Amino acid sequence: METFPFVMFTPMTTTTTPTTSLETMRKFAETYAQRTDTYFCVDLGVTATVIQGLAKHKDELGAPLCPCRHYEDKEAEAKQGFWNCPCVPMRERKECHCMLFLTPDHDFAGTEQTIDPEFLANYT
Amino acid sequence: MSDAAPVTDATFEQEVIHSPIPVLVDFWAPWCGPCRMVAPVVDEVAKEFEGRVKVLKLNTDDNPKTANEYGIRSIPTLMIFKGGQKVDVVMGAVPKTTLVKALQQHLSA
Repeated sequence: METFPFVMFTPMTTTTTPTTSLETMRKFAETYAQRTDTYFCVDLGVTATVIQGLAKHKDELGAPLCPCRHYEDKEAEAKQGFWNCPCVPMRERKECHCMLFLTPDHDFAGTEQTIDPEFLANYT
Repeated sequence: MSDAAPVTDATFEQEVIHSPIPVLVDFWAPWCGPCRMVAPVVDEVAKEFEGRVKVLKLNTDDNPKTANEYGIRSIPTLMIFKGGQKVDVVMGAVPKTTLVKALQQHLSA
């Protein structure tokens, strides 16, 4: 009987990689800050943490649900949309308790509306 | 995150509700930016009130039962317990003075 030498390949996954969502959320955050005249936190670690959280929720739930709230049912909240970024309080009153988008008069507002992709990807 | 000892759904009753001294619980979540800002404040307060206030942290993602029971919504939420009862709530990345004032009020009462 003839034998076939063959190689096993690891199947490719088709899910969105976190990196893609992270880039999407980084670009969104930068554009939205510029459009609303808001600034990132003076501590860019806060900014990075929140953008990573938004990307994680986008991957897991299909929507960038605010990572600075506790929900009894994350899936239901993401569908409902009130706390999907930019949330209703941000859109209506520029209130972001996550401190991603800060008005210039906020104690912790920095001067940046951009964040380095590498810093963002590697921040822990 | 703060250096405070973690408390969980399983240990909350024993560590917080049955504590002989007041307890400050830092409700936090891993991807919450302001939680990182308040963590050093919580650590400072823990040192300052050592022996008088027990300071613990609870990861709301891993311990939804307790977070739901106390109606946690905005994170970070700092909650003060005395004699097993919730007596005060401080929300957001607050300065140290705010937290100290809240604690002092309940220590003297």
